[in-house]
Amino acid sequence: MPLANTPQTDPRRDPAGAPWSLWIGPGALLGLAVSGLAEPMPAVLAALAVGGAGVFLNRRKAVAAGVAPNALAQPVAKPVEPPFAAILDRLPDPLMVIAAEEADDLTGRRFLFANAAARELFKIQHAGALLVTAVRHPRVLEAVDEALFGGIEGMAEFETGGVQGRSWLAYARPLKETVGRSRLALLALRDETDARRSERTRADFLANASHELRTPLASLSGFIETLRGHAKDDPGARDKFLAIMLAQAERMSRLIDDLMSLSRIELNEHIAPLGRVDLSMAVIDVIDALGPQARDKALTFDPILPPRGGAVVDGDRDQIIQVIQNLVDNAIKYTPSGGVVRVEIFPSLAAEAAAAARDPSAPRMSLLTPDHDPVERYAMLRVIDRGPGLAREHLPRLTERFYRVEGQKSGDRSGTGLGLAIVKHIMNRHRGGLTVESVQGEGAAFAVYLPMAKGESRMSSTTPPAEAGSA
Amino acid sequence: MTEHTVKSYGEELAHLTAEVTRMGGIAESQVADCIAAIARRDGPLAQAVVAGDERLDTLQSEIERKAFRLIALRQPMAVDLRHAVAALKISMSLERCGDMAKNIGKRALILTEADPMSALTRSIERMGKLVQGRLKDVLDAYTTSDLQRAIGVWSRDEEVDEHYNAIFRELLTYMMGDPRTINACTHLLFVAKNLERIGDHATNIAEIIHFELTGEELTSQRPKLDVLSQ
Repeated sequence: MPLANTPQTDPRRDPAGAPWSLWIGPGALLGLAVSGLAEPMPAVLAALAVGGAGVFLNRRKAVAAGVAPNALAQPVAKPVEPPFAAILDRLPDPLMVIAAEEADDLTGRRFLFANAAARELFKIQHAGALLVTAVRHPRVLEAVDEALFGGIEGMAEFETGGVQGRSWLAYARPLKETVGRSRLALLALRDETDARRSERTRADFLANASHELRTPLASLSGFIETLRGHAKDDPGARDKFLAIMLAQAERMSRLIDDLMSLSRIELNEHIAPLGRVDLSMAVIDVIDALGPQARDKALTFDPILPPRGGAVVDGDRDQIIQVIQNLVDNAIKYTPSGGVVRVEIFPSLAAEAAAAARDPSAPRMSLLTPDHDPVERYAMLRVIDRGPGLAREHLPRLTERFYRVEGQKSGDRSGTGLGLAIVKHIMNRHRGGLTVESVQGEGAAFAVYLPMAKGESRMSSTTPPAEAGSA
Repeated sequence: MTEHTVKSYGEELAHLTAEVTRMGGIAESQVADCIAAIARRDGPLAQAVVAGDERLDTLQSEIERKAFRLIALRQPMAVDLRHAVAALKISMSLERCGDMAKNIGKRALILTEADPMSALTRSIERMGKLVQGRLKDVLDAYTTSDLQRAIGVWSRDEEVDEHYNAIFRELLTYMMGDPRTINACTHLLFVAKNLERIGDHATNIAEIIHFELTGEELTSQRPKLDVLSQ
């Protein structure tokens, strides 16, 4: 691949961890020294300054990764350590300087400088990288071109996709300075995710609340009418109606609680959670809390948990508890009386193993998949019920708000239809995943997996998640 | 990778990849815009998508010309040949994605005149986001030569099929319930079909990347769900 001049490692996990200026300088120098291909430009000062040590570093990295540095994509522009580079690195907003020589060479725009936030966002590995490899959005590229060659200040909105999408406002500003024959432009980004999200969340909340509250409200006012009318002097009917009214009012309040918590979670979805949670402990807490409900239906729990400290994840404790609670609560609801609800945890799995099927022949669906990360280790939590199960066509829609599986004999309609939507959004905030597997008539298994806490003593995975002979 | 003794040869190859990436960016934003046009009932945006398809066509023929030129004049071997051919094939896939986006844009224009059906457009939007994510992933895999990421996109093909399947059922239910919605629902059905095709192109690009990087075809059978047989 022509552009793959750098070892294919995630820059964030780069073991050598060479600072930016070391990375770029030697790249260009090496290019010059080895192949003589890189086109020299003036302003080589910084590259020369980092000299020998840098070359050594780059070579070692290349050898370690088994990839020879590819001469053809060696950075053409020499690294320019701008004044205050260290300070710019501390800026929370991504900031880049783009250099280009010719207006016609549309793909020839290169990064001359990128601060830490920009390198992290676009995974830019060295100065001199082509702009288009990091930013593809045509509106942003146009704005940069106008700044470079038209001297016009431009603005463009764009989104970086992925599981946690973010909205950005890009500002392109022409710079008077030049490096050799290259013109320069500044590209600054501002994170607009919060504003966009709260806009959208508010609209969603209003739409959902007004629509879903209408039904219980209508039934409440119906009963009030009746109680004021012909049921006024009938104590039996009055008691019965009041009980229904109480149930409806409770349903409304549950609905509002769930909607509020969904809104809160959505607003914070792009912010990684702080704190650590021991999944085993959290499961025990939830099982204790839901004990009365299980006893009412004569259900038993069958938890298979690693010992304390065996499955510690990065997470927000309240939210993780909410995830487990929603899943176990569903399992209790759908398991017939006298049945067993199984909760199992598998620590230290690779993403593929965590998302793997339990029973390869059962219909299954991944409802949320985290961004691919080959190094990450996940803890997987699975809740298995022996309920009626779900037909295949329902699986992809389970996390939709208020989605109800029709014809399902769930008996009570106590759920709000938001439980799994909440689970999905919480898992997304935790960079985790969610899968469901179900055979109709035999039950369902919901599994969530999320990254293990770093720096903790990891237990080796002893139990494979696949199990034969179970539903 | 080996270093090329002729300078402009290497540059030409790098340039070709960069062009394809740029084209990918345009295709991505066309797809994003056409979904937004459906979701927000945004007529002007839909028109912009329809008009914007020409750029993709031009770029595609440029890339094709450059790739042919490179192959003819430089006669690349092995990995270099695969780069050139991959650029050529991916640009064709991207051009097709653009065509689908344009078609969705046209249907969005018609749908803005019908009554809003927010539940359905929501489902379409959800599927659109999924397809968009796959296209982004596969293009990221291309620019970073990330084989694992490409394989990841390739193996998650069935998610889109499941969504298409669900939307198909949902639309049928609507049409049976209220025949007045048949017109709009049919357009939405084609929109969903087009999105599914874009998803297929993402899978196809993942296969091309796999061949480009390894020289081997992705052969094992992907789990495939037949939509219509159920």
